Amino acid sequence: MSGFAWAFARDLRLAWRHPGETLMVVAFFVLVASLFPLGVGAEPQLLRRIGSGVIWVCALLAAFLSLSSLFASDYLDGTLEQMVLSPRPMIGWTSGKIAAHWAATGLPLTLLSPLLALQYGLDADTVAILALGLALGTPLLSLLGAACSALTLGARGGGVLLALLALPLFVPVLIFGAGAAEAQASGLSAAPHLSLLGAGLIVGAMALPPAACAAIRIALD
Amino acid sequence: MAWSYFSSPATFYRLARSLAPWFFALAALLAAAGLYTGFVVAPTDAQQGEVYRVIFIHVPAAWMSMFLYFVMACYAGMSLTFNTRLAAMMARAIAPTGAMFTFLALWTGAFWGRPTWGTYWAWDARMVSELVLLFLYIGFIALANAFEDSRRGDRAASLLALVGLVNLPIIYFSVQWWNTLHQGSSVKFTGSTMHVAMLQAMLLMTFACWMYAIGATLTRVRSVILERERRTRWVRAL
Amino acid sequence: MTHEFYLWMSYGVFALAIAAEIAGLALRKRQALKAVEEERELEAQD
Repeated sequence: MSGFAWAFARDLRLAWRHPGETLMVVAFFVLVASLFPLGVGAEPQLLRRIGSGVIWVCALLAAFLSLSSLFASDYLDGTLEQMVLSPRPMIGWTSGKIAAHWAATGLPLTLLSPLLALQYGLDADTVAILALGLALGTPLLSLLGAACSALTLGARGGGVLLALLALPLFVPVLIFGAGAAEAQASGLSAAPHLSLLGAGLIVGAMALPPAACAAIRIALD
Repeated sequence: MAWSYFSSPATFYRLARSLAPWFFALAALLAAAGLYTGFVVAPTDAQQGEVYRVIFIHVPAAWMSMFLYFVMACYAGMSLTFNTRLAAMMARAIAPTGAMFTFLALWTGAFWGRPTWGTYWAWDARMVSELVLLFLYIGFIALANAFEDSRRGDRAASLLALVGLVNLPIIYFSVQWWNTLHQGSSVKFTGSTMHVAMLQAMLLMTFACWMYAIGATLTRVRSVILERERRTRWVRAL
Repeated sequence: MTHEFYLWMSYGVFALAIAAEIAGLALRKRQALKAVEEERELEAQD
């Protein structure tokens, strides 16, 4: 576990010293979520109807934006290779990096979502379910994104290839997360959606770090 | 002779050449039988009229799209576990055919949906996950070709194929888990069961598509082998 | 739109896709053989 703590602390410290990444993700989230009312018209009923879905899509895109930097900077300056060569088990520090990535991107998005939900006029219960869904979903997005990001290290076609791989895998998270908020808004129970998200997060947390490790090893061979 | 004899690209190249035409011939025969059964023997449906006959290509295409992905993922797993080149080449050879069947499943589904449900497309669980499957195939092909070193492409794409395997049960069970637009897994038309000729035609067409897919994959893998092994002695001696 | 239209669009595109794939296979084979030829010429130059 020491590998996890070390990588988590290191990446958080780096993100703290260079907050550009985090600020960019947050700014993107807020900007794009603010664009929708301007585009579709600010009629309150329409906004309330599309609000949770739009916020989810914006969170997804913002989370996606930050993926390429997850392993890339360490890969380019050779740090990644050093970490692989170290005697610490790979899965520890890989999970630590992914957790730090979520703390620097997904967590701010989750915490900001109630503010944006206000913009869309969503009621309090829906906002709570929206935030809870994001709290469960954004870590899963970081996990899925980490595996895809590791697969495309140093590949031609860069960002577009990453989008092609990551976005289809993000789709179930979006469906259940936005579905939970929609269910709450129409008076049904959000519990089935949220439990599926939770289950996905548990399975992802167990299966995806090893996949990311395998992808990193493939990249460094 | 041990089967491992054929795990070398050189020997498999010759084997594929002799096998492929048989599979294509079998596919043509089965398709002829299937289309005859489907259009001449099978009766008109009481509710849907003639347009129901799309199932004779829609269902085989959908089954093939899932089955081929599964086979591709098996080869991907083999290539990662045993580090053989040929398994990775087979996975690469399957992908385009799999993508084609996925596209056809979506397309024929749209043209069946329009006259029967009134819409070309609906965002229901099975259709969305089939669309995700198409993107998985395309992603596999893109990732495999995104690197200078083709072995790196092999391994990365194989890992992707295995991660995406989770999509298959979602497609298969989605009609049970979510009660939305797409009908249940057992096709119910006139009465409680499908007319036996309809079932026969569907199965014949499924086998036809399967034999075709094998033939196409064997043909394609020969080109892949030539591309990858062009610097070896046996290829230059061809 | 008659039901025949939907049947034709389905079966027609299906047939087109199979034909396109077979044509693609032939094209890929030709390109592979050309690459082998180029490799052979490169070796002959050595």
